[in-house]
Amino acid sequence: MSATITQYRKYHSKVGRSRATSESTLVRYSLIGITLAFLGLFLLLPLLAVFTEALRKGFETYFSALIEPDALSAIQLTLTATAISLPLNLVFGVAAAWAIAKFEFKGKSFLITLIDLPFAVSPVIAGLIYVLIFGAQGWVGGWMSDHDFKVIFAIPGIVLATIFVTFPFVARELIPLMQAQGKEEEEAAMVLGANGWQMFWHVTLPNIKWGLLYGVILCNARAMGEFGAVSVVSGHIRGLTNTLPLHVEILYNEYNYAAAFAVASILALLALLTLALKTYVEWQSAKNAAGIEKEIMEREIKE
Amino acid sequence: MSIEIKNINKGFGSFSALNNVSLDVPTGELVALLGPSGCGKTTLLRIIAGLETPDSGNIHFHGKDATERAVREREVGFVFQHYALFRHMTVFENVAFGLRVRPKHTRPNDAEIKRRVHELLNLVQLDWLADRYPPQLSGGQRQRIALARALAVEPKVLLLDEPFGALDAKVRKELRRWLRRLHDELHITSVFVTHDQEEALEVADTIVVMNQGKIEQIGSPQQVYDQPATPFVYQFLGNVNQFNGHATNGEIQINNTELKINAPELTQNSPVLAYVRNSDIEVYKESQHTTSTINARIQHIHAVGSLVKLELQLSHQSDVIEAELTQVRFKELALSQGDNVFIVPRNIRVFPSTATQ
Repeated sequence: MSATITQYRKYHSKVGRSRATSESTLVRYSLIGITLAFLGLFLLLPLLAVFTEALRKGFETYFSALIEPDALSAIQLTLTATAISLPLNLVFGVAAAWAIAKFEFKGKSFLITLIDLPFAVSPVIAGLIYVLIFGAQGWVGGWMSDHDFKVIFAIPGIVLATIFVTFPFVARELIPLMQAQGKEEEEAAMVLGANGWQMFWHVTLPNIKWGLLYGVILCNARAMGEFGAVSVVSGHIRGLTNTLPLHVEILYNEYNYAAAFAVASILALLALLTLALKTYVEWQSAKNAAGIEKEIMEREIKE
Repeated sequence: MSIEIKNINKGFGSFSALNNVSLDVPTGELVALLGPSGCGKTTLLRIIAGLETPDSGNIHFHGKDATERAVREREVGFVFQHYALFRHMTVFENVAFGLRVRPKHTRPNDAEIKRRVHELLNLVQLDWLADRYPPQLSGGQRQRIALARALAVEPKVLLLDEPFGALDAKVRKELRRWLRRLHDELHITSVFVTHDQEEALEVADTIVVMNQGKIEQIGSPQQVYDQPATPFVYQFLGNVNQFNGHATNGEIQINNTELKINAPELTQNSPVLAYVRNSDIEVYKESQHTTSTINARIQHIHAVGSLVKLELQLSHQSDVIEAELTQVRFKELALSQGDNVFIVPRNIRVFPSTATQ
């Protein structure tokens, strides 16, 4: 066993260092340089600009922009929309990934395409679809206004739009992972007498937890930052149907730059936090994957 | 517990994996399902376990119909080719899993679980690995843990799907002897799937030879090796030469030579296939007066090992046949490449030519 590990390490360090398989120093450094310059120009610079603009008029203006009632209600609405769509996506993502990875059925590739739909469709179109269906002139709009239930220009519409744009994230993350892991461990659990829930809780979930967490983090970031779809269905009613990104837009359009950037900085901080979490999860799951990969490699060596 | 398999059919799309298969496994026996890949042996094993549902047919456990019984209620132990150990659990937890997931009223307490798990780990001689994780173990160790895990729930039937297929040759040999000993100790009804004839011949009480979704022959290792029921079994087990010949009145003609055969049913004039084991081909330097011989030329000699293998070219047929001699006999004959020799096939088995498929 230890011999195999040593072999494995040797093989990898060899691949890493061999001059035969790597580019020349010049190519390497210029590629790294171009990437860094690009990232600096398009990512780092705007990020810095957000924080300098936000703090230009001092901390007091910054914080007062954040605790102003409209800003607080925007934060609250964003958190609510996220808190509803995230668990729904979690359940849907796991269920879809499970169905696709562990069963064979007709129309499977069609289902995968459907899951990818929100990636392909512009968020604005997604928003418009909901307006067409639930709006005052929409298919069910009349019936809904008769029953005094509002979707468009109200919170349910925002939640619907958020769910639409975020629903591929968890499923997309889990499908390849679950496909790679196969269903032998689940079958072993079943033969040993586990019921469906025990099998999921003790065998499936621990195997996918890092992929799941990664999907949830991405989903969360998208849910909080979504602009296009939400903008169409929200109606921009201050203090009522404004999410954080919409609030930023309103403040900016009113030439209230300091406040706009202050609110934007919350979203930027959220992005940084997401990035940090994402890196941690990636690092953890890479550790896990290395284990699986080693197993597979050993298998291949033997066959 | 005995297993009775009755008229099982199973197809995947247009592919028929099992075609009206019936089989009885008596209590306490170790049965091997042997066949080439794609012959349906693994499907049959998975149907017994309940991991696949047959399209038609029945499975009885100890006389009771278990066809509709859920996997978890079948009380079988299943060992997978690639172990399928729970990679995030320690060896101890892997073995304890089957006990821990039991409903409360039948679940043993922690002390009892601990005792049972260590007992099983001792049985597979790996108690010292209890705190390790599966990726830290070698393939042979993993498979023994998988076996301990399967035995932990005290199954009535043990099913093994190519249990040694992923292991290297030496470990495989060790483990199959160990499995045989274990079975002799526990006497649990066991079915294992393999494509390795040597493994089946060495370990099993009964061998079920399968091909293309059908059972070709059921018998003891001795029976299937010495009296193959079909041309397929002949070719699949051991080394054998195939001759195209013609049968008339209890004789067959191969290569313009009349040979006596013991197949009274083949008296009419018909084309036949004759099979002779490599070790049943006698080689002489001179023509034999007492019996008819076939002329051949030595094309190649492999003299490594306890047996000498000769590749022989028959003078009138393009086919090359193989013969095995002992080293002593080989030296006695003083053969070398290119020599013309006379061969006498013994124990010829003849099948009608149409039975090839």
